[in-house]
Order: sequence, then C-alpha cells, then structure tokens
Amino acid sequence: MEKRLTLVTAAALLAVIGLLPVLAMVASSFYISGSFSLKAYQTLLASSQQYALLLGRSVLLSFLTSALATLVGVPLGVVIGKTDLPWRGAFAVLFTVPLLIPPYLIAVAWGAIVGKGGWISQAWPSATSNLLSTAFFGLPGCTGVLFTAFMPIVMLLTITYVGAVNPRWEEAGRLVSRWPNVLRRITLPLIAPAILFAAILVFLLAFGEVGVPTYLRYPVYPVEILTQFAAFYDFGAATAAAIPMLVITLAILTLEYRLLHNSILELKAVVPGAARSQIALGSWRFLLFGIVLSWALLTVLLPLAVLLIQSASPSAYGEALSRASDSIVRSLAFAVIGATALTLLGFCCGYLVHSRAPPLWRSVDALALFLFTLPGTVIGIGLISLWNTPMTNAVYGSPAILILGYLAQYTVLPMRITSATLERIPRSLEHAARLCGASWFMSLWYIVAPLAKHGLIAAWLISYVFCLRDLGISIVVYPPGSDTLPVRILTLMANGAPSLIAALCVILIVVTLLPLGVVSLWLRHGARQS
Amino acid sequence: MKKAFWIIPVVFVALAIALWRYYSPGGAPTVVVYVSHDQVFSEPILKDFEKETGIQVRAVYDTEETKSAGAMNRLIAEKRNPQADVYWANEPIRAEVLRQQGIAAPYISPNGAGIPETFRDPNGYWTGFAARARVLIAHRGTSPKPTSMLSYTDPQWRGKTVIANPLFGTTTTQIAALFVLSGDERGRAFMQGLRDNAVKMSPSNGDSADLVARGEFAFSLVDSDDVVNRMKQHQPVEMIYPDQGANEIGCFVVPNAVVLIAGSPHPSAGKKLIDYLLTKETERKLAFSDAAQIPLHPDVAMPPYLQPIASIKVMKVNYMEIASKLQTILPFLKNWAGF
Amino acid sequence: MSMIEFRALSKVYPGRLVIDALSLKIEAGERVVLFGPSGCGKSTVLHLIAGLVAPESGDILINDELVAAGGRNLCEPEQRGIGMVFQDLALWPHMTVSENIEFGLRARKVPDKERKKRVRDVVDLVGLGDYLNVKPGELSGGQQQRVALARALALAPRIVLMDEPLSSLDEALNIQIRKEIRRLQGELGFTLVYVTHNRDEAKDLGTRTMHLRNGRIDSAFNMGHSS
Repeated sequence: MEKRLTLVTAAALLAVIGLLPVLAMVASSFYISGSFSLKAYQTLLASSQQYALLLGRSVLLSFLTSALATLVGVPLGVVIGKTDLPWRGAFAVLFTVPLLIPPYLIAVAWGAIVGKGGWISQAWPSATSNLLSTAFFGLPGCTGVLFTAFMPIVMLLTITYVGAVNPRWEEAGRLVSRWPNVLRRITLPLIAPAILFAAILVFLLAFGEVGVPTYLRYPVYPVEILTQFAAFYDFGAATAAAIPMLVITLAILTLEYRLLHNSILELKAVVPGAARSQIALGSWRFLLFGIVLSWALLTVLLPLAVLLIQSASPSAYGEALSRASDSIVRSLAFAVIGATALTLLGFCCGYLVHSRAPPLWRSVDALALFLFTLPGTVIGIGLISLWNTPMTNAVYGSPAILILGYLAQYTVLPMRITSATLERIPRSLEHAARLCGASWFMSLWYIVAPLAKHGLIAAWLISYVFCLRDLGISIVVYPPGSDTLPVRILTLMANGAPSLIAALCVILIVVTLLPLGVVSLWLRHGARQS
Repeated sequence: MKKAFWIIPVVFVALAIALWRYYSPGGAPTVVVYVSHDQVFSEPILKDFEKETGIQVRAVYDTEETKSAGAMNRLIAEKRNPQADVYWANEPIRAEVLRQQGIAAPYISPNGAGIPETFRDPNGYWTGFAARARVLIAHRGTSPKPTSMLSYTDPQWRGKTVIANPLFGTTTTQIAALFVLSGDERGRAFMQGLRDNAVKMSPSNGDSADLVARGEFAFSLVDSDDVVNRMKQHQPVEMIYPDQGANEIGCFVVPNAVVLIAGSPHPSAGKKLIDYLLTKETERKLAFSDAAQIPLHPDVAMPPYLQPIASIKVMKVNYMEIASKLQTILPFLKNWAGF
Repeated sequence: MSMIEFRALSKVYPGRLVIDALSLKIEAGERVVLFGPSGCGKSTVLHLIAGLVAPESGDILINDELVAAGGRNLCEPEQRGIGMVFQDLALWPHMTVSENIEFGLRARKVPDKERKKRVRDVVDLVGLGDYLNVKPGELSGGQQQRVALARALALAPRIVLMDEPLSSLDEALNIQIRKEIRRLQGELGFTLVYVTHNRDEAKDLGTRTMHLRNGRIDSAFNMGHSS
C-alpha cells in the first residue's frame, strides 16, 4: 500500500511539476484577453513559409550534429570501452567534460580561437582565417560546437553497452574472424538500438538548443521563435509557434518508444567487475593513442586552455569574484538542493519504471524523457504561466521555482540511472526482506539503498551537474537578485571584458567538476580500504 | 559510508533553511528592479544606491544575447502578479509599451524636473535619463563622410554599408521615428532603398560597429556608446551626428527610462530608487563609465568625447507616437527582415 | 484443515498462461515437492503462496484464511508467516550473517535480548555458530545455504518455501543439506513446499510430490517418507 501510494505520488508530482506548466502554456495560447481565439495559430499559418525554412534549418543542424556525434562517438566509445588503449579512463572523463558545461561556453572559447580578431586571425590574417571565422558564425560553427557538447552522450552509451555484450558471442565470432569483423557483424548490431537511441537524444537536444545558435547568430527555429516574442511581446504567438517543435519532439520520441525501447530494455548495461572481452590493439596501440589524444587536445583541451589563458590574470579572477561571488554561492546551493530533490523524485520514478508497474511506468518514462528534450525556456515560460499568481507567490518569488524547473527538466537522468542500478540488484533481495516482515520503506532503506549507493551517488552527481549548468530555465524564472552563475555570465557578456568572462567560465567549470573529483577520490579511497 | 548518507540530508536541510530565511519577508527594506541596461554598467549604480540608502536591491538583468526572455518579457508575463517595483529600460519605447499594457504606474519624481520634456512622459509614466544618440560610425578611411541617415540610400554607398537588425532595439525605434516624422510612404520607400542599395543586416549595433572598425563597411547607424567604446580601443573610426543641417531631421536620441510598476510589492522603495536614478550624480557616473551615456540634466560633468545634449540638434519626436507606430509597422519590418 | 489451498488458481505473465486453473491442498506438517521442467510454473506457485505476486483469478487460503482472491492479494507477504529460501539465496551482501538473520526480528520489533537469543538458537540449529560477524561473500556455498535457512527459520514460520536452493551445489553437499532440511523440518514441524527439477531431491525430500506441466498438476503421488 505504502509502496503503491509513494510511487503513484511520485508519478503525479512529475506530471504536476513538469507537464502541467507546458499544458498551461499551450492552453493560454488559445486565449487573448480572456477570450478564446485562434489568432496566434492563424499568425503561425500566415508565416508558415518562413517558419518552414527555419524548421528546415533546425532539422539540418540537429541531423548534422547527431550524425557527427554518432560517427565519432561510436568508434571512440568502442576504443575506450573495449580495447587496451592506454589512459582510456582519463580519456573517458576528458571527453565527457564538454557535456558538463553549458554549450555556449564552448562557443565562447572557440570564438576566441577562430572568430574575427581571434587567435587564428591574429596569427594568420589571411583569407583562410577570414573564411574560418565566417564559417564559425553559421551552420558549421553551430554544428561543431554542439557536436563537441553532445558527442559524449553517444560515447558514454556505447561504452556502457559495448562492454556488456556476452563475451561468448564475441569469442564464437573470433574463432572464425578478426576483431574488426566481429565488431561490425556481431557487437555493434547487438547494441544498435542503444546507439540509435543516443543519436535520437542528441538530435532532440540539438533541436531545442538556443544558447549556441544565438551566440553564433545562426537563425534556427527555437531561437527565432523566442526572439519573436522578445520583439513583439506576444506570448500566445510564440507559444503557438513552439507547437511544431513539441509535435516533432513527441513524434520522434513516440517512434523511439515503438521501435527501440523494448530492444534497449533487453540490453543489459555493463556490470562493474563483470567479465568482458577486451581487444588487444597490438601494433595499433600507439597510433590510436595518438589519434585519440590529438582529438582530445583539439576538441576539449584547446578550448579549455583558451579560457584559462584569456582569464590568466589575478585581476580577472579578482573582478570575477567581486562581481559574481554571490551568484557562485547561489548556484552551488541551488544545485545541491536541486540534485537532492531530483535524486529523491528520480529514485521513486526509477523504481516505478524498474518495477514495470502497468500502466504507469511507460507514461512516466516517456513523460520524463519528453520534458528533458524540451527547451528549458519553454518549461520556464510554462512555470510562469502556472505559478505566477498571488496564491502561489511564496513559490514563484523564491528559489523553489528554480527547483521545480530542475525537477521538470532533469528527472529523467536520476530516473534512468536508478532504473539501471536497480536492474542489477536481484529482486529476490527485496522479496526476502518483505517476507521477513520489513515494510517497503524499511527494505528500501536497509537493503536497496545500500546496495544501490553507487548508482544513487552517480544520480546525485549527474543531477548536480545539470542543475549547475542550467541556463534555459534559470534565465526565465530566477527570483530577482538571485541569478545563477551561468545567467550572470550571460548578462555580463554584454560589454563585459573578455578576461572577466573567461575567468567566470573557468570558475563555473571548476565548481562543476570539483565535487565529481572529490567523490571519485573518496570512492577510490573507500574501495582501496575495503 | 553510513555517516556519509546522513551528511546529505543534513546539508540539504541546512541549505533549505538558510535560503528560506533569506527569502522570508520582514527583513531589510527591499526594492526589486528589472533592468534592460547592461549589467556591467547598471549594477554599480544599483550597488551605490544600496550603500547610500540601506535598501536591498534585487535585480533581474536583461540578456541581449538570447533576447529570449529578457526583463521586459518577464514584466509582461508577470502582469497579473507583479514581482518588480521598478523597470530600468534602456529606451523609452519599452516604457511606453508597458504604459499601454497597463503595467506602468504614474510617478513624477522631483529629481526629474531638470530633464527636458521631450524625454519624459507628461503624466509621469516614465522619465528619461542618461541617453545615447543614434550616430553614424564611419571608418576613418571613408571618403566622403556620410552626414545623414538617408546616406544609406545614396548609390555611392551601394553594398558598402551595414545596419543592425531592424526588428530589435534602437534601430527599430529609429525607423519607427522616421515613419512618424516622414509618413508611412516615405518610411517604406526608405526601407526599400536599403534593400535596393544592398545594405547588409547585422545582428546588433555592436556587430555593426565592429564590421566598420575592421574596414569591411564604410559606415553604419549605431548607438553613441558603441562608437565611444571603439574609439577608446583606438580603432580607426569616427563618430558623426547625422542630420544636423538646418533643414534636416536631427539626430535621434534614446534615453534610458525608468518606470514605476503598477501593483508592485514595494512602491515606496521603488520611488526612492527612481529618485536616485534621476539624480545628476547618476548621470555623471553613467557618462564617465564605458556606457558613455549623455546626461539630460544641464550642467552635468562629462568626458570630452561626449557632446552635451544642448549642442546636438535632436530629432523632434513624440515617443508615445513612436511606440504606437512601432506596433503597426512591425509586421512590415518582419516581412522586410525575411520573416 | 489444510495449511495451504489453491482453488482454480490462474496466473498470467505477458503473453503466457503460467498457472492454469490450479487446485491443490497441502496439509500442515507435509513436505511437498513441486517437480517439473523449467518454465512449468513451479517458482510461480511459491511466489503466489508467499504473496509476492497476485493471481489473475482463483483463491489462495493459508491456514483456512483467504489471502488472495478476486485477482488481488488480501494479505501482505510479511503477514503470512512464511519463510523462504530463494534460488539465489538472496543473502544481503552488505550485512553480516547475524544481521541477515536478525533483520526480520528487527522488523517485527522483537526486543534486543530476545532477538539475540533467537539468532543464537537458530544459528546453532544450522551449525553456523562461528560465523556470526562474517559477510555472506566470505562463506562457502554450503555455509551460505545454512545462513539462508537460518534466516528463513528465525521467525518460526509455519510454512517454509524453498525454490531450487541446492541447484548450484555439488552432489555431496546437496545430499548433506537435504539431510539437514529433513532434520529441521522434523524438529520444528513447519510445512515445507520445495521446488526442484532434480528427481533425486524430489524422491529424498518429499512426503508427497506433485508433477507440474504447463501450469497444471500432471500427477501427484506420496513418497512414503514420514521424516
């Protein structure tokens, strides 16, 4: 009874926090001054040609980003997850760094290198560098930045599933063929559903991305829609214009569910310590190491180094701290609270999904994923529509509104991590606890949580990172005087000195990665002791 | 490990309590201000206000980069339950829009008395201060120099000029002012002339200024602070106040505007902030900052690269009319910009 | 009065009828073996008795009390007085032997002193006295079996269910543990329902064997054992 009540409450909370604001926003687009009106949609249809062009650009950008991310992420994932490449653990961490920071910071860093007046044009003021900088502020630049930001998703999912393929199947293939053929004909086809899912996720995230195309002045659908209502102050029209985006996102997710979801569920994620076959690279080892290292230097270390160099003066950091220390502290506080709330809600939803309790679990899973792929600004506007009333001002006027936004957008992350973690814990352990007379809460606290602790810590850390780096929701609903660091960086960009902005970016990266480093060291210390 | 589990809820609860206490009403006096002026320039002014009055300022700043949900949009979205007390607009058109939407409340500050009537709403719904002028930035190598906004349609500059996106900011406002002054027909003709003369469109005034400074274009219409900043960086540009001739329309001036929000939670603190922003001292600070804003009060000290407002032939316009005109020509501009 | 009774019980898993209108009665103190090939529904019968899953239709009575009917469980697993040894033993790896065994006693808020006494008693019963503070991962297969048994017996259940508990043991150990099980059942008098696909185990352990096929009882016969 308590289990059912808790899980249903968690599902209801997700619906209220996440779905209701979006529905409120959509509903309000049908009303002008309190009367029902289709004017917003008529305006949409009247501009359908122009919007179709922008939608086409968005689809193209998303497709290119997804294709590149898959083309690079899968081989990288295989090399890191399945071979004896030196430093592969370090590479896995390094390539994941761009996923942990707001994508527009990557654009800022690259802008300092290839943009007009950047390093390249200063060193080689020629037509080539001009061409490079022109290309950067457009489709190629957007694609490059988003590819860097989202490729880790494909890489990580590949690493997760490629190591879990039954080694006997691969060994049977190795008896008659070499590794490349085994990978091509056995391993990769087996994990194809997961790779395709990763590609779809990257597509949807790129589709809804606003920060990078705005910074790089590339007009895509979500940017122009939201820009429209900055020019015309017409929320109804902007919401109506957002509907095609919602429809496309829903359509793709529905397809994913129908075609892929069950196949992915059948795949088991890698179990730490479990036996898995590893490819010995032999004479290819150093060449591949060189290639991977060069790629890491170019795509990850170079932009980070640029930020460090641009910010390399005590005065820059001094000014950064004096201008933004309050937002740094706030970001940390909101991220810690958000991560904790997310872990709790995500755990309950993950448990629900893991238990496959019909008919809820599919709806909860699909809803959480749908909310994750929505642009943060859409969720933010929905939150204003729903919560900005005198009755709910205590919530709206406080950081609670930010936490609600985080819960709406990011629940899918701890939910999926929890679900995957619980898959590895035999159900009989919980059954045994129940038969011993433990209540559901008791069996969760004494049995499930301790066994799932690494998964829970991972869920908390991932939630922390995403809360900290959030921009879309924060920028729309942060309480006055309570901007977060990513928002502060963006507002200071207008006429702020480049060194100041770079210093703030470095601080954001450090604050994001520090807990990950601390927890990693602590876990390693604990493992050594035991 | 068991100890570690306990740390998390303890930290969580401690943080939650700290934040709840911080945000609970009944603490120090507070004013909430939404700001469209760049945070780099406006924040020091607000911090000085805090120090001098002891009133805590909670601000929401605009982001021109995203334009996605700036301060203005939040004000409109929050109309039925206002959170802000004051809006610091970077141009009076936004203030007018708020007045038209019933979001502004009238307040005539005693400190606004010295400001010319052109730059104030007669009923006190907004008051202008610390302005920018819409000027021509020309590359030093450009010859002859342009002298008018209408130089954009001069065939000798075909393909050699750039203008910021006319859907946003001061460019929109200036075009609307032209429509008001010259009539719709001549306004449309001007826009068609831009097209015929292959004028390039850039995302913002700052981008336009950079393009001219790099010599990629001969001149552009930008804000005066954009030019001052490039001049301070020793870039090869000049500032030209357009249309200063006897029969010419004059230079369009864009003041900041401060608005008291209707139904705001802290109206008296809001009025104090408005009074502070309208002082000569505030204008002096903004003049000497990198914002390079022209004081509207007489006898305010300013740096040598700024021209006193009295010495500029100002375009004679009514901002209320401009705001109304803006609403009507926006679909036309949208179409012109390719939407 | 039967200890366990199924009345026309059916259970469906997605796409498959696992238990098909099954009716059976198990008397108090019996050792009943459910025998059959993989996938015939043996483990499902145990899960239904334990209340870990609910039947689609039919009734389940335990000690003449209706515990499941109308497609749902009327009595929660922890209220049925059942101990179970799972196929994978389900020993909690992060708890010591002592903590594994006393978990149920803690859940029922048995006072500290009595709890420790009962743990000691049951550990002595299965012969694991020296291993109280050891974690299950450090024990041998046979020792882990004993811990699982001890945990199942700690609450003095009236019914003990065993789901192929000896399948991973070698033959010698298998025989030894079977002997232990018969002894314990004789001493404590609980009703035992034992699932296996091993004929030797079935012959050795059961006073009655039921052969399941496709979710139904194919045949049932007494084994003639009394202890």
